[in-house]
Amino acid sequence: MITRLLRLAWRNLWRNPRRTMIAMTAIGFGYTMLLFVACLMAGLRQQMIESGTGLLLSDVEVQAPGYYPDRPTHLTLGGRDGTDVNALVAAIAADPRVQAASPRVYGYGLISGTHQSVGAQLLGVVPDQEQKITVLQTRIVKGSYLTRRMPKGVVIGDKLATAIGVKVGSEVVLLAPAVDGSTGNDLYTVTGMFHTGLDAMDRNLVLMPLASLQELLRLPPGRIHEIAVKLHHDDITATMTSSSALQVQLSKTLPVRVRGWPELAPELADYVQFNRRVTFILFFIFFLLAVMGIVNTMLMAIAERTRELGMLMAVGMRRVQIVGLIVAEAASLAGASLVLGAALAFPLLWYLQVHGLYLGGDRGAITLGGVAVGPLWHGQQDFTAYTQAAVGLAVTALVSALYPATRAARLRPAEALRKV
Amino acid sequence: MDRAARLFISKSSIATMEMQITNQEVQRKISMQFWSLGESNILLRIRSPKEDAGTAILKVGNKIWYYLPKANRTVQIRASMMTTSWMGSNFTLDDLVKQSRLTDDYAITGTFEGRRDGVAVSEYTLTPKPKAAVVWGTITLEVRQSDHLPVRQRYYDEDGKLIRELTFSEYKTVSGRPVPMRLVMQTMNKSGTKAVAETTITYEKIIFDKPISKDIFSLKNLKQ
Amino acid sequence: MGFLLLMKIGWRNLWRNPRGTLLTALALGLGLTLLLISLGLLDGSHEQMVNNAVRFGTGHVVVQPMGYQDSASAELLLPPRVVSTTEAFLHTEAMKHVLRGMSPRLLASGLLSSAANSSGVNLMGVIPKQERAVSLIPQRIVEGNYLNDDQQSGVVIGTELARKLDVKVGDKVVFMTQAVQPTGTDEADAGGGEMQSTLLRVSGIFRTGIQAIDAHIIQLPLPEAQALLGVPGRVTQVAILLEREGDSLMVAQDLQKQVTGIPVEILPWRQSMPTLAQSFLLDDAFNYVMNGVVLAMVGLGILNTILMRVIERHHEFGLCLALGLRPAQLAVMIIGESLALTALSLALGLVLGLSAQHYFATAGLDLRWFFESSLPTTLVFDPVIYSRLSLARIASSVGIVFLTATVISFYPAYKAARTELPDALKVF
Repeated sequence: MITRLLRLAWRNLWRNPRRTMIAMTAIGFGYTMLLFVACLMAGLRQQMIESGTGLLLSDVEVQAPGYYPDRPTHLTLGGRDGTDVNALVAAIAADPRVQAASPRVYGYGLISGTHQSVGAQLLGVVPDQEQKITVLQTRIVKGSYLTRRMPKGVVIGDKLATAIGVKVGSEVVLLAPAVDGSTGNDLYTVTGMFHTGLDAMDRNLVLMPLASLQELLRLPPGRIHEIAVKLHHDDITATMTSSSALQVQLSKTLPVRVRGWPELAPELADYVQFNRRVTFILFFIFFLLAVMGIVNTMLMAIAERTRELGMLMAVGMRRVQIVGLIVAEAASLAGASLVLGAALAFPLLWYLQVHGLYLGGDRGAITLGGVAVGPLWHGQQDFTAYTQAAVGLAVTALVSALYPATRAARLRPAEALRKV
Repeated sequence: MDRAARLFISKSSIATMEMQITNQEVQRKISMQFWSLGESNILLRIRSPKEDAGTAILKVGNKIWYYLPKANRTVQIRASMMTTSWMGSNFTLDDLVKQSRLTDDYAITGTFEGRRDGVAVSEYTLTPKPKAAVVWGTITLEVRQSDHLPVRQRYYDEDGKLIRELTFSEYKTVSGRPVPMRLVMQTMNKSGTKAVAETTITYEKIIFDKPISKDIFSLKNLKQ
Repeated sequence: MGFLLLMKIGWRNLWRNPRGTLLTALALGLGLTLLLISLGLLDGSHEQMVNNAVRFGTGHVVVQPMGYQDSASAELLLPPRVVSTTEAFLHTEAMKHVLRGMSPRLLASGLLSSAANSSGVNLMGVIPKQERAVSLIPQRIVEGNYLNDDQQSGVVIGTELARKLDVKVGDKVVFMTQAVQPTGTDEADAGGGEMQSTLLRVSGIFRTGIQAIDAHIIQLPLPEAQALLGVPGRVTQVAILLEREGDSLMVAQDLQKQVTGIPVEILPWRQSMPTLAQSFLLDDAFNYVMNGVVLAMVGLGILNTILMRVIERHHEFGLCLALGLRPAQLAVMIIGESLALTALSLALGLVLGLSAQHYFATAGLDLRWFFESSLPTTLVFDPVIYSRLSLARIASSVGIVFLTATVISFYPAYKAARTELPDALKVF
């Protein structure tokens, strides 16, 4: 019975192709736009997170309890407890939520160039592993990133280089309180300079091989300060869930403290949340716009068929059946339109995700240190939003068909027939 | 009282000493040589252990330089770079190179006279003068009644919590002056009840008031 | 029939079906309403984000010595003439509604020590009343009080710093730094001036939630800082906060004109805080694209509505043509109708839209109605958004909607004129 009704409904739609097409365009295109917007919004959030965590922070940090935020040199993972740090890193990397894990050592001391010395944050990393987690290597502006061939090579921020008067190839002295209290010091060579646009990094950060920093700080090879982790999904909720899960799992063997980026950079989380809320409201407004188009269309489409409906009633169709027929028509119309809208959207969404929307030039692409940064906006699929939008639109179509349909059905056939 | 406060101040001094550091992390022994001229020139050179041998610190007036033998470089230290402890010990760079006259910054009152640990001592309580740039709430200083040599110095914060304690012992006469040859500085735990770290400075030899050339306190000499 | 007559008929046509017309006008008008609301919220939220964020740094515009942006050297100070010129300029009548506040600051770094510990810090010497108008730190005091204009030796520090130094309000701390040798002094080594120590009392503790600020920034009354660094009457920078982010560039340029020839840098926030600019770059692009999307959707709605109207009146048009109306005249009549309808819709839309916008501009839209946060309440961004709509935006929205509606109505007019007579008269 239902199938027969639907088949009839479908045929009815196409008796007046122009009207149907217009209605389909309203619903379908409205859906396409909603998909487009949802994709862009999700992409925006993703990119905000990536730009905040991609340079140094990483998604999750695993440290000894009490290490953060003061970062005392002696509070390490490994060493005294006899923990196998390499195994720990491997265990984390093996977790399905984790994309990559990398060990790090931190120090704070002095970097001295030809004339000046300034305080600096020292970061010891394993280049191969670190590059899977952060993208600092893409911000090298002079010289080159760390390599195995130069264990005494360091990469520093360009503003730091200017402050102490050095360039690529210069020698610098690093001075830092070692873990045993002595003053670790040694000579290093500047192999590269980076520019991130972030003052805190460009003015303060010295990147060096992990083993070299351990040596400087008199830390045995088995002791590190942190394992930086990159997750597959790093939106706020996913990150917090993953870090809690990691905390539980790792704590079974070893006292650790696992922190997600929302904890380490609450201002970034704040920004992302704020953005999410604003975009939600916008999405809602767009939804209203789409809905209006549909309601209008459906109202008109049905009002214009008053005479036709009158005739149906005159030849014996019951009111209930009429309403049913209209609803069935609306349902198939909605269904077909959504499919059409989605079909139109998918190539667009795919393109957005893979290639992104280039919005350089006119938006005032800022040059940071001579490197032009045009915003390239990548989309991100947000299937929850897609489904919600679809359901919302379908319901709207049905409801907006229902009202005029019941009204028409309640007319007396003779009256209905008289409508011109 | 003034005598106690200006204990090691002399026209000049040359000394060799040993510093033993004990805390939760490490146990270390450092031996070093020390020259001073007046109150504003100090040179310190480390002799052992091997990793630190040759490291030197020079202070002239208010400026401080480090010499690092491994890198063969001299680095000037700015105020903001002075960390709390020097070489991981319980002494700060402030303690070591800036010998402030206690009388300048503190008002001194006598608070006790009697015997403690079998020694007749006088205790003085030092309260910072209103504008004095010192972090302590109060300092108590116990001196021997016989020769006014210090026995114990206690540093309290403003809430009256004991933060650190300096004990003097092994009194000897050197260059005609009586001097304690052993200083132990202890840092207390959070509640101020137990020592969590301890540094002992033992003087092997001190010579006071021998004429020293001012050239010793130069960057050139530092690099030696 | 004359052009004007056709238009008049067009108008009257609308009112043959008052309810239908009003409903349609409402539908179209709502499109404009929603457009105005969303633009207002977009602009408002963007503006707010920027305005909040710059208050943690150097404001919308900053005046500082040439080269300071790169080196942040404590030796660089603003020539006093620049400061007075800036102040004079900012307090002119023209700037009255543009300026929100300005704060001269002396910056330096040093070591802050307590009995328990010490830490490297960045000092800001400020005039409390003026700093309040610019920075958000004074509003984030969690213990004690912010600096008073008359209080001496008070210092405010962040919660992280207080924790590290184990101090509370009323405790004393000692600040040690190098006195500044203003550039030009003959100094053999680059070590700077004499080391100075000063006693300070913690008068207040603030919490911004931003680690870098809470652990390293301390604020002191300006005269005190000047005395400490040995630079009486001098400052390092002047941070300027404006009412509207959009004025940043203009104010910077105007100020620059006042001080030509003097080596200072007057930077709008995008240049003084490139990190922030980076983060907002995406946001700017977002605004831009969203505007486009809204317009597209509104355009679609208009198209739909007008098309449906025309189709519904197929029969009627056939009748007109049969009675002798020429196709061209029919087209003009339809266009007339559309224009009238559009005008009506725009009027409705504007009234609704501007009232809604006014509500959101004054009472704001509290985001908390829609969400509970899983994280502690917002640190940086106000949870209430205030809508901001410039006259230019309103004008352009109305203009674009009107234009779209007009252009779109050409198509149905054209189709109507092309109505095939015999078919159109058929009843079914």
